[in-house]
Amino acid sequence: MELYIKGIGCISPQLTYDNSVFLPEIKKHSGNRMMCIEPDYAPYFEAGSLRRMSRVVKFSAGAALIALKDSGVTQLDAITTGTGYGLLENSEKFLKSMAESTGPVLSPTSFIQSTHNTVGATIALITGCNAHNNTFSHKGFSFESALIDTRLLAVEGATNVLVGAHDEISEKTFALMEKLHVFRNNEDAEIKAYEKGGNGVVAGEGAAFFILSATKGEGDYGILVDNAIFYNPESTIEVKELIEEFLERNKVGLENIDVVISGINGDAKSDILSHEINHLLFAHQTIVLFKHLCGEYMTASSFGFWLAAKMLIAQQIPESVILKNRHRRPGYILLYNVFQNDHSVMLLKAC
Amino acid sequence: MDELMATLKKEIFEQLNLHHVKPEDIGYDQPLFGEGLGLDSIDALELIVLLQQKYGIKLANPAEGPKIFYSIKTMAEYITDHKKQ
Repeated sequence: MELYIKGIGCISPQLTYDNSVFLPEIKKHSGNRMMCIEPDYAPYFEAGSLRRMSRVVKFSAGAALIALKDSGVTQLDAITTGTGYGLLENSEKFLKSMAESTGPVLSPTSFIQSTHNTVGATIALITGCNAHNNTFSHKGFSFESALIDTRLLAVEGATNVLVGAHDEISEKTFALMEKLHVFRNNEDAEIKAYEKGGNGVVAGEGAAFFILSATKGEGDYGILVDNAIFYNPESTIEVKELIEEFLERNKVGLENIDVVISGINGDAKSDILSHEINHLLFAHQTIVLFKHLCGEYMTASSFGFWLAAKMLIAQQIPESVILKNRHRRPGYILLYNVFQNDHSVMLLKAC
Repeated sequence: MDELMATLKKEIFEQLNLHHVKPEDIGYDQPLFGEGLGLDSIDALELIVLLQQKYGIKLANPAEGPKIFYSIKTMAEYITDHKKQ
């Protein structure tokens, strides 16, 4: 079932929270991580409610409220979210207080706010939505699973669903992962550097939320046609066949795809398959990258989805994201993301 | 008593992250919940933890909570009474 994108909200390491602009200036982050550029939250939350929110709750619920306002939708039929790591900062805070405590009691707030569904629950409280509320935490399939749930809900009769994803960089977890040498310095954020690749990825974070609707309306950003996940494919040929089958089930020929948004993350080793797929399947499509803007994280594909929605409504592709330009207007967009062994595709089209 | 109430106010503001309110705007007699500071059930848990961590007082009867946590003054009186015991 096709779903219409009615509203978007994205808080990321780029200036994306303002829906009236489209990547006006690329923020180049130095070091090995890209942190979110956050708005002033005063217009979105009551001062009293902000005091208990950690950074990820603020930028995620903030993105959700931006999407909601953007859509004009007032009644939600469901809230579905995806997160790879959940709420790390609050988990770390609670574990630290547990390790350091000498007494029998601990401050409960960070524990209460450390569960993976804290963001979904916070949005529900703010919007007064008592309907279906589900959070998916499936590594690189977290956002993708939330999308699948949304599509199934629409089949069952839901009209307007808020769907999104979030992940944060936290000090302790980041420091531990640094010791595993998975990150590299973002010395050159230019897109060409991501084509060549280096050793490791630049850590990223962000939240992107969308209002998806079963009904068509004026000013819709675009249409989500379908999405699918491929776990641990054995070869490039298998991925190629899976993508072809996915397009076939949607009755869309390869030649109809105008733009491919690729989840190339700049790590030469893990990008081999993506480059091979681009070479095998997408010789005539404009290839767009996004992880040089938001970094790598388990739900980075939600940033790619935001990029697709913006390109569809603007009918233009910013120079800063183009890896290979075949000068095609974004009619059909295929997002192909890879996070370790988790491969996923999303098919979107213009209204 | 004044010294204890001033310390308690500072501790409550820190524990509950009340950055949106100025400490001088809250009187010692003013209600902490409802129309006063507008605290909620999670804050009540935080106040129970505060009593135990900072003053070593365990709330014996939870039903007394609303009376004890009515204001900074009632909390200070409860601490004073139970510290003597």
